[in-house]
Amino acid sequence: MLKLTSVHTSYDHIKALKGIDIEVDKGEIACLIGSNGAGKTTTLLTISGILKPDSGEITFEGEPLKNISPHNIVNKGICQVPEGRRVFPRLTVLENIEMGAFGAKGKNFHRNLEKIFLLFPILKERKNQMGGTLSGGEQQMLAIGRALMANPKLLLLDEPSLGLAPIMVSKIFKTIKEINEEGVTILLVEQNAKAALRLSHCGYVLENGTIKLHGSGEELLHNEDVKKAYLGE
Amino acid sequence: MKPILISLFAAILFLPFKGLKAAGIMFISILILLSAVSILKKTKVIDAIKAIRIPEAGRFKAFLIPALLISFLAFPLMLKDYYIDVLIMSGIYTLLALGLNIIVGFTGLLNLGFAAFYAIGAYTYALLNTKLGLGFWTSLPISAGFAALAGLLLAIPALRLRGDYLAIVTLGFGEIVRLVLNNWDSLTNGPNGITGIAPPSLFGVSLGKLNLYYYLVFLLVLLAVIIIRRVESSRIGRAWIAIKENEIAASSMGINTTKYKLYAFAFGTFWAGVAGILFSAKMQFVSPESFTFMESILILSMIILGGLGNIYGAIIGAFILVLLPEVLREVQLYRMLILGIGLVLLMVFRPHGILGGVKGVHFRS
Repeated sequence: MLKLTSVHTSYDHIKALKGIDIEVDKGEIACLIGSNGAGKTTTLLTISGILKPDSGEITFEGEPLKNISPHNIVNKGICQVPEGRRVFPRLTVLENIEMGAFGAKGKNFHRNLEKIFLLFPILKERKNQMGGTLSGGEQQMLAIGRALMANPKLLLLDEPSLGLAPIMVSKIFKTIKEINEEGVTILLVEQNAKAALRLSHCGYVLENGTIKLHGSGEELLHNEDVKKAYLGE
Repeated sequence: MKPILISLFAAILFLPFKGLKAAGIMFISILILLSAVSILKKTKVIDAIKAIRIPEAGRFKAFLIPALLISFLAFPLMLKDYYIDVLIMSGIYTLLALGLNIIVGFTGLLNLGFAAFYAIGAYTYALLNTKLGLGFWTSLPISAGFAALAGLLLAIPALRLRGDYLAIVTLGFGEIVRLVLNNWDSLTNGPNGITGIAPPSLFGVSLGKLNLYYYLVFLLVLLAVIIIRRVESSRIGRAWIAIKENEIAASSMGINTTKYKLYAFAFGTFWAGVAGILFSAKMQFVSPESFTFMESILILSMIILGGLGNIYGAIIGAFILVLLPEVLREVQLYRMLILGIGLVLLMVFRPHGILGGVKGVHFRS
């Protein structure tokens, strides 16, 4: 579904991605793990078109994404939940969710809204509250719910567990699984390697802008190098 | 503590003008006033008043709007020319505030050179009328369109910048326009300005008389409010608000942020062009000194005073800042002082502006 072939991206002189290959199949959860500065967020930003790759090719459903502007990439069905949640603080929860339907021009509006309130009942309870007054975990739920309003085929999640309490993390991961079971393909970027790998069908380990390892989630969980470097065992 | 500090501030401002005694009187009287307010607050009188009004807000509004419209329509029949003149200026500034509110209030792009677009609208009509003999009604769309075009042309390079940097570029643009008007003698007649601009006429009746001109301004303000309200609650308005709230999130919603920012600039400066043509047709004279940096700041103060992002706030802000100096004309020397104290007080008690935090967005649910 999504294929990156030897993608290079740089910030001026600093090369952040040095030729990475990633393939995400339809219906699966793929995860990208790695330490700070490995290039995880850069990869997502390159996919969603905010950063332009220096070389290499990205295709989505067989179609190259070169020269397509970020908002049109969203309309093609790739939706990103940016790092640090970024909800609209002075709009209510409901208005935040409604804003998510902007690109989709309100297609499937009511069905999606119902689905989101079913996934996150707390958002229904707080629908008239300002986005900025929610707790970190609730804001993450809101950001994910908002992204679902755009009818995504592929959901890019950038560190959804960042700064959340452990109980919230497991709740968010459970929901990601539920969303995936409804047919949305997911590319997850995480520092919380253990939880991410347990959830994922396949995983990629990113180090200094190159893919060091890749395999099924299960394989990587038991890989000695991964265990040492990321799982703290 | 707060009331004491505020009174002290006002007293110190007064000191160089009237000496120690007057400053002392000022200090004590403001302190008493503020204490009275805080006592009222403590005794929950204000809470009680608020509690009564909120459930009836809808009915209150239904009564208020027609009442306001009727009284504004009736004003020219009973007021002296001087007051009509002031009201016309309030109307022109209302248009400017409404326009700037689109750029700063809705979309969150700080613009410190708004007077430039006002100038472009005014000079376009002045030149079209005196050099080519075009009438008011043909010039109205041309002037407004020209201002919008200028806004667009400035926005295309400037929107690569954000926040303070964008503000500096717009400030520079404002100065460039003023200096060009001041120095291009062969076209604009330099600092002497352009005289002999014709007032508008309708079906052979000249609208040069103040009370007729008043109705023209009133009509255009009304039209602006209706149109801007419609746009605000449309898809475009929603995109603007998303951009203001969080630009990265907005673009991850599939909003083409550049496009909508350009729309905001063009649409906002369009109304500055309308205000400009109304100004030059009323004065029948334009010169660069009407479009200084202070003018831009004044317009910005209006929308901040009224509450950023609120259409009615912009109107209230414009009226206050035009009417207040006129009301205070009696006390000549102190009027800017009193105005300053008033603004500081307002910002202390309502930091988001008079109508700040009151939502104007109408989302479908």
